[in-house]
Amino acid sequence: MSAAAPDVPALDISGLRFRYPGAEGNGWVVDVRGLRLDRGEQVLLTGGSGVGKSTLLYLIAGLMDPVEGRVNVAGRHVHALHGHQRDLYRGRTVGMIFQTFNLLHGFSALENVMAAMMFSEIPAKEHRAKAEGLLRHLGIERMDAEPTRLSVGQQQRVAVARAMACDPVLVLADEPTASLDPENAAGAMELIQGVCREKGAALLCVSHDPSMAGRFERRETFLGLRAG
Amino acid sequence: MTDFTIILRSLRARLFSTVVTAITVAVAVGLMLVLLSMSDAGRQAFNQGTGNMHLLVSRDASPMVAILNGVFYANPPQRPIMWEKYQEIAANPLLEWAIPTQQGDSYEGFPVLATLPEFFTKFTPNENEPWKLREGRFIRGAKDPLPAGEKGPDRPDAYAYEVVLGSAAAKGTGLKVGDEIFLTHGINASRQLGAPQEEAPHVHKDFSYRVVGILMPTGSAHDRALFTHLDGAWVLHAHDRRKDADESVTKTTLADIEPGDRKITGIYLRVLTRAGAQGSASLPVVYDQLRRDSSITVAQPKQQIDTLFRIVGNIDSIFVALAAAVMLSSGIGIMLAMYNSMNERRRQVAVLRVLGCSRGRVFGLILTESAMIGVIGAVAGAGLAVVGGFLVAGVLKEQIGLSVTPVFSAPAIMTVVLATVALAAVAGVIPAILAYRTPVANNLRPIG
Repeated sequence: MSAAAPDVPALDISGLRFRYPGAEGNGWVVDVRGLRLDRGEQVLLTGGSGVGKSTLLYLIAGLMDPVEGRVNVAGRHVHALHGHQRDLYRGRTVGMIFQTFNLLHGFSALENVMAAMMFSEIPAKEHRAKAEGLLRHLGIERMDAEPTRLSVGQQQRVAVARAMACDPVLVLADEPTASLDPENAAGAMELIQGVCREKGAALLCVSHDPSMAGRFERRETFLGLRAG
Repeated sequence: MTDFTIILRSLRARLFSTVVTAITVAVAVGLMLVLLSMSDAGRQAFNQGTGNMHLLVSRDASPMVAILNGVFYANPPQRPIMWEKYQEIAANPLLEWAIPTQQGDSYEGFPVLATLPEFFTKFTPNENEPWKLREGRFIRGAKDPLPAGEKGPDRPDAYAYEVVLGSAAAKGTGLKVGDEIFLTHGINASRQLGAPQEEAPHVHKDFSYRVVGILMPTGSAHDRALFTHLDGAWVLHAHDRRKDADESVTKTTLADIEPGDRKITGIYLRVLTRAGAQGSASLPVVYDQLRRDSSITVAQPKQQIDTLFRIVGNIDSIFVALAAAVMLSSGIGIMLAMYNSMNERRRQVAVLRVLGCSRGRVFGLILTESAMIGVIGAVAGAGLAVVGGFLVAGVLKEQIGLSVTPVFSAPAIMTVVLATVALAAVAGVIPAILAYRTPVANNLRPIG
């Protein structure tokens, strides 16, 4: 909820632990002692492939349930919300950007952004204007084109516009530059960070790319967050 | 952007599958509606032909056989009614008219009905729809002169050898007004004037008939018949009788007809009614009077057709059950199409979930999409049924003279359409459950 009090952190994790059902003997996939992101703060979380970075993001978004611990997004205990309430809360407060963008095929760039607003409290009559404004701001002119007809860079911008459509408190970026060459990767991060800064959204970016480190004032490692 | 947009985009993304599945549904719905409509239309078609007749008298084995033979020309009646019996029946003061008919001859497989001119002036094949001519005129009576300007044989008995063609008979034989033909005894192929005689056994080759008229279609079995004057039919059979006795006989005329030649096979009866009314209080009385005569069979056409449809109704039910089975299989088709699409749409479902779409809404989207295929198929099927029904009816009328007008009642169409949509929605339940249970995280990961 974007309108939450400014002193409430965008993200506050404590004692979060997760492992897949039936894998009790294999230790925790996610084991985070604590992590806090203030409003507008940008944090890079690094770690090797397969250590559970993406799983942590899904836990934060409420797409998975932890075994123990607590995740507060904009002051709300995400996992205390159930069913429709949690989905609604996620749609309104969290924006997600994926490595492969995960844009909806068969939908135009404009519809991809408008789809994000369908599940929010933003009045339907404002969806189109808001989506057009965002896409225009991010340099997308061919709004009626399907994502497959856009360049990779443009697809990335559509994905960013979609993540920002509901003015989220927190943006979760999962390896957002992994499919881009170094030059485009820098441009993409510039865009994501810039938009988040502009909109006042906190950004938690997970990546195993060491070249990203210089772009973030605060950096955390996955191992460093472990409770043990 | 609405849920409907998502559904339409999804249907469009799988256009081939959507179209094929919808066509399957459309065919099933069309079949069901045509069968339902034809069931009523069939009854109507059978009611045509009996027209304004109240009773049919014959000497067939049962009233049902009497109707099938006397009105629908199923077979020529085997047992004749003597003319004296006809006169006795026709003298009943409660009768408005009694028209004698005789069957037994044919032309190229089309039955010949020998009767009197009153057949065309008093009897109507459909209620309130008198006979209409496409060309020429009706048969005339013994005292009616040849119409002015018409060329024809200058003989006093020429009226007895005139023939009027039902529309289907005209089409089937290719005859036109002015043609001359020979009739065949029994239902065998007969031939046109000039054809080799050995090809047509039992041909009344000494008497040629002249085509004087062609009727407009009536939608009844009468369209397949040829109509001649009763006097001619009696002469033909008097001639056969005389030749059997004396092979040297070459000519027979009206004067040679003996009482034993005056045979008919049926009597169309109408009881006195008040003007404009179809029913008559006298009908049960006359019916009862006639039934007391054990030498004849009396049939009430409408009653017999009802009986016939009670028998045929079971077959109707089987057809409708088959159509329902086809509909059910089309529902399974929808389910399979939706189920098979689930693999490719798991990512879409996962993305929608990330954007805030609830599991319940995902369930509803899939269910509605499935129902949409039902809607498209049902509407197309209803259109198909209406167009197809009338096309089939046109062909039936054109080819066999049976007028089957499909009866599409709005409640029946609505019921079938709603049932189809409900079936399609039910077919979407399993795919919708799969979508509901789609694990989001697994389906957001990069492919490969």
